[in-house]
Amino acid sequence: MTIESQQLTGADEVEDPILEIKNASVTYDGGDTHVLNDVTFSIERDEIVGVVGESGSGKSMLASAMLDAIPAPGRLSGEILYHPDEDTTIDVLNLSDEELRSYRWADVSMVFQGAMSSFNPTMKVGSHFKDTLRAHDEDVSEGMDFARQLLSDLYLDPERVLDSYPHELSGGMQQRALIALSMLLEPEVLVMDEPTAALDLLMQRSILMLLEDLKEKYEVTMVFITHDLPLVASLADRMAVLYAFELVEAGPRDQIIGQSGHPYTRALLNSTPNIDAPLEDMKPIPGKSPAPVNVPDGCSYADRCPLASEECTAFDPEFQLIEDEHSVACHHWEQARAEIALNFAGADEIGVSKGGDSR
Amino acid sequence: MSRPDATAGTDDSTDSADEPLISLENVEVHFEKEQGLLDLFEEPDVVRAVDGVSLDIQENDVLVLVGESGCGKTTLGKTMIGLQRPTGGSVKYRGRDIWETKAGNTDLSFDEIRSSLQIIHQDPGSSLNPNRRIVEILSEPIRLTHPGVSAGERRERIYSLLERVGMTPAHDFADRYPHQLSGGEKQRVALSRALLMNPDVILADEAISALDVSLRVEMMDLMLDLQDDFNTSFVFVSHDLSNARYFAEHGDGRVGVMYLGNLVEVGPAERLISEPQHPYTEVLRWATPNLALDATEAGEPPMRKIDIPDPINPPSGCRFHTRCPKARTACPKEQPELETHGDRHLVACFRSDEDHEYWDSPEIED
Ligand SMILES: Nc1ncnc2c1ncn2[C@@H]1O[C@H](COP(=O)(O)OP(=O)(O)OP(=O)(O)O)[C@@H](O)[C@H]1O
Ligand code: SF4
Ligand code: SF4
Ligand SMILES: [Mg+2]
Repeated sequence: MTIESQQLTGADEVEDPILEIKNASVTYDGGDTHVLNDVTFSIERDEIVGVVGESGSGKSMLASAMLDAIPAPGRLSGEILYHPDEDTTIDVLNLSDEELRSYRWADVSMVFQGAMSSFNPTMKVGSHFKDTLRAHDEDVSEGMDFARQLLSDLYLDPERVLDSYPHELSGGMQQRALIALSMLLEPEVLVMDEPTAALDLLMQRSILMLLEDLKEKYEVTMVFITHDLPLVASLADRMAVLYAFELVEAGPRDQIIGQSGHPYTRALLNSTPNIDAPLEDMKPIPGKSPAPVNVPDGCSYADRCPLASEECTAFDPEFQLIEDEHSVACHHWEQARAEIALNFAGADEIGVSKGGDSR
Repeated sequence: MSRPDATAGTDDSTDSADEPLISLENVEVHFEKEQGLLDLFEEPDVVRAVDGVSLDIQENDVLVLVGESGCGKTTLGKTMIGLQRPTGGSVKYRGRDIWETKAGNTDLSFDEIRSSLQIIHQDPGSSLNPNRRIVEILSEPIRLTHPGVSAGERRERIYSLLERVGMTPAHDFADRYPHQLSGGEKQRVALSRALLMNPDVILADEAISALDVSLRVEMMDLMLDLQDDFNTSFVFVSHDLSNARYFAEHGDGRVGVMYLGNLVEVGPAERLISEPQHPYTEVLRWATPNLALDATEAGEPPMRKIDIPDPINPPSGCRFHTRCPKARTACPKEQPELETHGDRHLVACFRSDEDHEYWDSPEIED
């Protein structure tokens, strides 16, 4: 896809952004492989935003971009702006190494995908907390008091956890300990990349519930990145959908679930196993998403889209605001809403009647 | 300890002409934890991974085991297909004890049982040899089951199966190595390899959990279609109730809910989900995301503790009593048995018995 929309478009509609991602692109192979393509997106202070996309769509690239931590030799272009308060702007891509190190823990902290490997297996969990405090010249005993507080907020027994080696804890406990660690320097934003993917559903849901409590208690803004749309839908205030390294839709949670305008979002909603939709209405999405070296001209979704027209293959759809806070990159979003039915109760009914039975 | 003795879901299990494919009776799998030298004189820790499970699997059956991590699903599944030796009780294949057969004490060969009972793992990558092309990986089972078949014929069978599982063009995929496949494609190869053994039962152990949610329906559809073609039964292990529902509803299958080594509820998927009888099944229902807008927010979980207790010293009586929001002082005293609760539906909870002393005992408060 060609990069033509340099102007700021729809997604930049939030009132008090804490983090702004502007025209972010990531390339490998000296620019030949695009793994994130011109993404513009803002994160509002104190919100929980869910970013969804299938495997390989660029989710981890977007997460890493927010921390200027793209794995080498990838190249990040565009702008990442951090606003500690309404009147201050920090240009993240121009920070010194020292500033960046502090930004990554104390301002915007990250829980990486594959958390089990984030702990050093030969070190007790408590040492990870102490090392982090020392590395940032924090008062260790004060910091450890806060660590204990965080651990018990996450329904863990602080002494037992701090005194254990990672492998002595269940996966769910390790993951919660890692979340506590990432909160240790009281960041303003917590970015989580598939933080629960390796866990069973009950633990995933329990962690989501705890995250909501943490958010209330410590007023931290959260970005939750996952392939699991129904899971994050239960937590998010706003959602963004990535497809083939681009943002295709973003908006308030209820709009994305009930009134999505992008054919891909609607197909994604219909493809997920669901607890009460009629079984015969759950449909996989035909075809495959394009590889990073092979992104077609025009709309990247065209070869899988039931509504694709000549316009779609000829011109990139612009990421545009279709209603309050809701942006979509599709030439035929109105048609999508009218013609691609959703398979679960209450869909397409918000604003008309809340949670009605459309079945 | 009481021993639940219900043969789940088979209305006519007394009919010996209609012998179950696999039959578990009072199966126990206890693992002794390795000990250091210092603990030599202490009682070894015993993990009760499976504790007193009785269950039948019929031809063309679908059984889905659900429960959280560490509840014994995989161990039970492996015991059903003869990959794990039980420490108590018996596992029979068409009426012959699998482990007696292995010892040479029945009229059946163990190899026959082995090839009839297949497994596909959660992580398909790890079960495929990285140094062999797909065509070589799939040739092996054919060589085993049909030693007389020529190389050309083998290739033909492999191509048509690859096409059948949606990997087209087959010749392109056949010549690839596992690392050149996506997670979903690797899982299709693992499924193909299992099918080439002409199995009676395939254990799919969290076989779709590593796939994106958007790919899961497709993979389940494929397994179910192939079930019809190949006449296999499936034991499908999952921690996700919406996947369990999708898989079990097809072919009139059952869902079995496991908690700390016990089956606590068994029944037809739709009933079990719409009218869960066991408080733990309600917890799993709570954990299952729902897209209906008035139900997206989860609310408080219907349990008192987040973490599952250590299976080394499982709680006494009803093992769920340490987390159950409905627990009363009668619950830790004895273990509820798995008992019939309407058609094809079994539950192990005192609340299903109107006359149980449970009702007169006070609530447990933490
Ligand atoms: N070091 C690298 N060099 C080149 N390409 C890479 C590198 N790391 C990732 N990619 C490619 O970038 C694209 C986006 O990757 P990314 O990891 O962001 O996907 P994702 O959406 O996080 O996927 P998943 O759900 O599997 O984690 C993929 O096509 C991937 O193969
Ligand atoms: S722009 Fe066209 S091809 Fe792309 S999603 Fe919209 S309708 Fe489909
Ligand atoms: S027997 Fe008691 S503790 Fe066990 S599930 Fe029933 S109510 Fe809960
Ligand atoms: Mg990723």
